[in-house]
Amino acid sequence: MIGQLTQLIIATLVAGTPLVYAALGELVVELAGVLNMGVEGMMVIGAISAFAVTMATGSLTLGVIVAIAAAMVLSLLFAVLAISFRANQVAVGLALTIFGTSLGSYIGKSYVGMALVTAPSPLAGLITKIPLLGQLHPLVWLSWILFGATWYFLYRTKPGLVLRAVGESPASAHAIGYPVIRIRYLATLFGGALAGVAGAYVSLVYTALWTEGLIAGRGWIAVALVVFATWRPERCIAGAYLFGGATMAQLFAQSAGVGLPPELMSALPYIATIIVLALISRNETLMRLSVPASLGKPFNP
Amino acid sequence: MAGFSRRQLLKIAAATPFVSGAGLRSALAADEVLKVGVIHQGAISDTGWEYFQAQAWRALEKAYPDKVKVTVLENIAQMQDAERLFRQLSSQGNKLIFGTTFSQYASLKKLAPTLTNSHFECCAGIEAGPNLGVFEARQYEGTYLTGIAAGRMTKSNVLGWVGAFPVPQVIYSLNAFLLGARSVNPAATLKVVWANAWVDPAKEKDAVAALIAQGADVLSGSPNTPVQGLAAEEKGVWSIGSTGDFSTYVKKKQLTFFELDWSSAHIGAAKAVMDGTWKPESRWLGLGPGGYVKMTTNNPELPASVAAEMKAAEEAIIAGKLKPFSGPIKDQAGAERVAASAALPDREIRTITWLVDGVQGTLPKT
Repeated sequence: MIGQLTQLIIATLVAGTPLVYAALGELVVELAGVLNMGVEGMMVIGAISAFAVTMATGSLTLGVIVAIAAAMVLSLLFAVLAISFRANQVAVGLALTIFGTSLGSYIGKSYVGMALVTAPSPLAGLITKIPLLGQLHPLVWLSWILFGATWYFLYRTKPGLVLRAVGESPASAHAIGYPVIRIRYLATLFGGALAGVAGAYVSLVYTALWTEGLIAGRGWIAVALVVFATWRPERCIAGAYLFGGATMAQLFAQSAGVGLPPELMSALPYIATIIVLALISRNETLMRLSVPASLGKPFNP
Repeated sequence: MAGFSRRQLLKIAAATPFVSGAGLRSALAADEVLKVGVIHQGAISDTGWEYFQAQAWRALEKAYPDKVKVTVLENIAQMQDAERLFRQLSSQGNKLIFGTTFSQYASLKKLAPTLTNSHFECCAGIEAGPNLGVFEARQYEGTYLTGIAAGRMTKSNVLGWVGAFPVPQVIYSLNAFLLGARSVNPAATLKVVWANAWVDPAKEKDAVAALIAQGADVLSGSPNTPVQGLAAEEKGVWSIGSTGDFSTYVKKKQLTFFELDWSSAHIGAAKAVMDGTWKPESRWLGLGPGGYVKMTTNNPELPASVAAEMKAAEEAIIAGKLKPFSGPIKDQAGAERVAASAALPDREIRTITWLVDGVQGTLPKT
């Protein structure tokens, strides 16, 4: 039983990690007042570019770096259209998802069904000495470091405060001399980079293979998590693991012979995540206070 | 092409059915090339369902290098698109058109009677219809044999199955898997997890982890990607690649597997169309020469005695002496479904909705 519980926890951490990356990235983007709904598309591009590069070079690190770069290019496209040209952010985000998903399928055509046989990363040797959690991939550890860094940046540093100010009232931030557009660009690029890592994690670590529909809506879950988490990083990460945990729990329950219809079981993670996060965000005043006031609104300096 | 106006083309297209309709069932002239169209619902990858579908038309091209021209469209996921393309293939003069999945079967049932200048064949379908033949594999004959290997190799007596969707093809496969295992190891049980997706590698991997955590030490299922086998190998557990060879990826722990060989269906249909003898038929074949299920190589670690047992069972099945679904068979609830001296009739196997005794897992109630 103890063995099973640890297995469940480990599996939860593994399954939740792509959501942690994607949601943290989107959180920073939204705190700067930009709503980028193209996370799914950027994750797909991250996943396929990482896979293709690692397939060719055998290097996980290089794969992740290229994934970051590729997804950042996509987010730059978004930034140019939505921030500089002030196009509707929702529309551009949706277009980005459709574009990214299709482009990913196109690039990935010759890789469908292939699997990766990779050498363990150099870091892995150090970490595996730690009991239990040592079996987790370095990218999982990195996501925790990143969470800490993001939290510290947002709530304990001046640039973090400026970023949040830009999301609340870009006009005021502009008036006292902060470069609103540049900050929004940087935030969007950061979100793109993390979506790239999230995608790379799925194709390189989680499944270690490429096929169409690999991301399977995880980008959308990440966008939803940020909203339900009332724009708080610690709630984002909790929500990500809750979702991962519910996914794993339903599979464990199925194999243990719990007599629920599998279709309902498959819906369980979504239901559980929505219920818990809806409970957290049930306080309306608090909810209204936590929404970045200028979210989704273009700024014209 | 340059000389045709759009109007002329339309006229020709409109006239085609009447012209060719007259000579529909006649044989092709000796020098006429048979145009064959194939629509794959998924992408043709390294292995898995669509790969074996592709192997079939490749075999057809090889069998008649000068007499057959195959046009292939892949990754047509939306049925509306597939229907449009089936029509297009037909109007382009493809005399023989293949569908590759059960989803396409529903569309073809509707389309085939109206597109009479082509002959239609669909892999996976319930029954033949007007102008539509179907072919399907008795996959349970393969899983019965892999079940024997699993039953002999398991130490925990717990087997695992990752199911895509609870459709009869999957249900009879997993039932036969456990029946095969129990034929050599009565203590074996089978845990089932449904992924509710044909391809969702992340979830399949998690499902494998869940099964292993609960003690399963030989895994099977109907994977379309190597992910299940890889996940099992990572944990040092045997996997069985039913519907395909994943040994390029799963280097050590792929116990055995079988392939689906549809080439006789494709070549047979093409030959019948060329000879003018094509009729819509329903073919449901398993092991044996010309069949659709082919046993292949085993892992070197599989003891020769077990391989011999599988071989003997294979021969008995081919000879008709062994029927995997012979009684007595009880269902999960303990009710007797097949009497001691009887065997489950084909019709009931094809529409099976119950799990045999010893399977731990549920089917959705309908």
